[in-house]
Amino acid sequence: MTTFSEVYAALRRANRKQYALLVGCCFFSVLLITTYVCMMRSPTILTVLPEGGDSRKQVMMIFALAVLGCGVFTTYASGLFFRQKSRETGVLLALGASRAQLRRELDKELALIAFGSCAAGAVLGAPLALGLWQVFRAFVVDTDEMPLSFDPKAYLIALAFSAFVIVMLFFMGARFIRRTNIIDIVQESHKSEPIRDVPRWYGPVGILLLPAGGFLGYSMPGWIIRGLHWYPPEGLTAIFYLPALIGLYMILLHTVVNGWRQGKNRYKHLITTSMMKFQGRQTVRNMLVMTLLIAGAYFAAFYTPMLGTGSMQQIDKRPVDFSYRFRADQDIPEKDEVEALAREYGVRLTGFSEQPAAVLGVDGTTEFETDSAIGTSYTVEYRELLMEGVFLSESAYNALTGQHVDVQPGTVTGIFMAETGGSGMFGGDASLLTNMVTGETLRVTPTEDKFSYDMLFGRYVMDDGDYAEITAGLPSEWREKQVFFNVADAENSYDFAKALFNEIVDRSAPAVEVYDAYDPVAAALCAERGEPYDYSSENIEAHGFERISYDQRDSSNFRLYWKYMPQFRSLDKADFVRSMAVFLMLFIFIAIVCFAAVVVIAFTRCMTIAVVNARVYDDLRHLGAPNAYLYQSVRGQVNRVFLVPAVTGTALIYAFYMMIMYFNGDPLGITSSEAAGLLSCLVLIAALSAVLYGVYRITKSSVCRALHIKKT
Amino acid sequence: MLSVQNLHKSYRVGKTTYEVLKGVSLDVAEGEFVAVMGPSGSGKTTLLNCISCYIPADEGGITLGGEEIARLPEDALAAVRNQKLGFVFQDFLLLDGLSVRDNILLPRVISGQTGGAMESDADRLCDVFGIAPIKNKYPAEISGGEKQRTAVARALINHPLVILADEPTGNLDSKSARAVIDSFAQARESLGATIFMVTHDSFAASHCDRVVILRDGVVWRTLARGSETRGQFQDQLLDAIREMGTEEV
Repeated sequence: MTTFSEVYAALRRANRKQYALLVGCCFFSVLLITTYVCMMRSPTILTVLPEGGDSRKQVMMIFALAVLGCGVFTTYASGLFFRQKSRETGVLLALGASRAQLRRELDKELALIAFGSCAAGAVLGAPLALGLWQVFRAFVVDTDEMPLSFDPKAYLIALAFSAFVIVMLFFMGARFIRRTNIIDIVQESHKSEPIRDVPRWYGPVGILLLPAGGFLGYSMPGWIIRGLHWYPPEGLTAIFYLPALIGLYMILLHTVVNGWRQGKNRYKHLITTSMMKFQGRQTVRNMLVMTLLIAGAYFAAFYTPMLGTGSMQQIDKRPVDFSYRFRADQDIPEKDEVEALAREYGVRLTGFSEQPAAVLGVDGTTEFETDSAIGTSYTVEYRELLMEGVFLSESAYNALTGQHVDVQPGTVTGIFMAETGGSGMFGGDASLLTNMVTGETLRVTPTEDKFSYDMLFGRYVMDDGDYAEITAGLPSEWREKQVFFNVADAENSYDFAKALFNEIVDRSAPAVEVYDAYDPVAAALCAERGEPYDYSSENIEAHGFERISYDQRDSSNFRLYWKYMPQFRSLDKADFVRSMAVFLMLFIFIAIVCFAAVVVIAFTRCMTIAVVNARVYDDLRHLGAPNAYLYQSVRGQVNRVFLVPAVTGTALIYAFYMMIMYFNGDPLGITSSEAAGLLSCLVLIAALSAVLYGVYRITKSSVCRALHIKKT
Repeated sequence: MLSVQNLHKSYRVGKTTYEVLKGVSLDVAEGEFVAVMGPSGSGKTTLLNCISCYIPADEGGITLGGEEIARLPEDALAAVRNQKLGFVFQDFLLLDGLSVRDNILLPRVISGQTGGAMESDADRLCDVFGIAPIKNKYPAEISGGEKQRTAVARALINHPLVILADEPTGNLDSKSARAVIDSFAQARESLGATIFMVTHDSFAASHCDRVVILRDGVVWRTLARGSETRGQFQDQLLDAIREMGTEEV
């Protein structure tokens, strides 16, 4: 050994575990972010996440959390690295090494670590995303829309994060070397992080603020929109969640600094609490990020069971096995052809019913929006002719549903969902009907009573005489047919259902290749005014939606948003995972990324606590503390780092989800399918908690090893 | 060789200022072995840290080999620590990743003077302090006494003007402590080293030529060994410490 570089190399070899941890953390964080961003910016994903839609916002929000989490744990990992390096640096400075000399060697090392790990993470990010996606495709589901493609621009975001990691490492390194007091550096590992006294009321006040902020953040935008007729910018409404964040911070701070235990029992945990108290600031910040990441991970993870369970239950509860509607001018299979096709597949039809419906113009109120710098405001105006309404005569409704309703002349009754009512989308309050061809109008009174039949949701029932009068002269393109039928063995009717679905799609004309929200009345009004119609096939892509295409009949976009999408129980159940594959896989992927970040943060934090408190444990040994006591103390600390964020994050997001479910419906409440979904989420929580418990045990063992404490 | 003149140092904790050194002056001649003793809080370690230039003094001067070092810039200070001072710490502060021999070589490597004599110098020091058989071992594999003798050898590798030792026997058993003090004595006799040692240990201090006793940040008394035996000098030190205790009561 003749050069200073050789000294550094020898020290590096001796401390390779510390280097490996830092390299691993940098690599892992860049890998995670690159993988996430490759996935998030993939054209495959963007296609199914409409611009401005909730799903895309959620993905972005969780990405922001993941960046924050990865940024935090990389910073702490580098802090831990420099803390462990402080002793040798102090010794070298004490022996006369100059800061410039140390800086040169450290910069060489950091360059290797930073550029090497970031480059490896960035390079492997895309293959990892692709690999995971292929695993999903191979073992879970594969559809035509699933081949993953990448947007090269995604790498710019990954590059920006890598740049942050590199700059952060060099900044931390420069700060570390710049410290002027050798004594402090030599003794740095004995220093603690002071924390200001935390009043005991922080805990209870935090508990009050947390749900209050959650409720305020969720409901304020609605109140503002309804009360002030103003769509405030999203950043502004996010402020209302602030009390929840402050409450969460107060709860964590109180838990770490004061603990919830009072009285004699407090002394049992005296050492654990006091150690945590002086590591308070960083620990609480860590816990806050972990809590938010756990909440984000569960938010993403709940997507699959909520959607899966809820949808399956809704499909199961359908009163008929097969339902489809079509415009009357379309050549769609009717009873004879359907029976023939069924015979071909060995399926026996029972209870076939086909009834006419009419598309009429209806009146209503609409919002006229005005954009400005402070958001969008709107005014509400009544229009005598605003949108389409699909009307059934009472006899058609009775024939389809088997009910015996009698709608009085001059009245109309809306058909609602049994559990969720109008879901905020349908009021059933049309009072002026217009025949769009003859121009005839009919004044009606919406009845107080509502009909419930999920498969006819959003339509109206009217008196047979009124129906005949207002639909007189209505051509077939303004008429529809509604078909309901059952089969003898619904479980084994998939092939038939698929064949019928394909037949319907094949025989549908381009005129009905339209989005769910396409309204022929609104389109006609736009045409009259000479304005483009947003939901027409020509304009829809300009508004961030994917165009409906018969060629993509198995895509989630088509299955979810084709206006005339049939509802076939066997087909919908079997193809559910296929048609929702991209959504489901994306959210599963996000959950994996967030949980991985949580695991690394928790592990790094626990190891930091071990290093920082090594001297305290030595002192406790000198005071005669038995191994069991030391082990209990370690367990207590690792418990807090894992348990508090896990319990808080899980409870938080579960309560938030329940709140969303409760306020989502009309009337307020949780439907049975939502309850089933929430129950599935509990099962998922149990499974993921078991995984976290496994990581907790591994971390506890590592901390014990670092402190030379035997497991008892 | 080393001269400290009217050294003042205070610490500020919150709104309270603690004056630790209140005008300490002392001189150490070339080849002299001097100890500083005193009760806890008397300012011993602060004095040593100021002389090492680890912490800046508020007032006063420190001259080493005729050069004023208290106000030197950072790079010049590093050179002084490397070339003119040798350090022996209570916790040894050996680098665990380097062998005994590499630890000894470290100050020379830092200075960049890695000529052919470097390794033979290290081997010679290993022989002088009886650590040749363990020179290829790592700190974790040797005893506390061996670690401290390694630290003494490391302190001497660059032929410093003064060795500064902070409680060098504080973490050692009596046998190891004796071996370390013997190694200091040997360094002085064989290599002509000048040693300035802070200690609580009257046995260790009794090997010195002179003992400076600090109390409340000032030099309370200086005792010279002269022609007395080590045992007599230790008794004299103990009497002085007892007297200091009586005065305090």
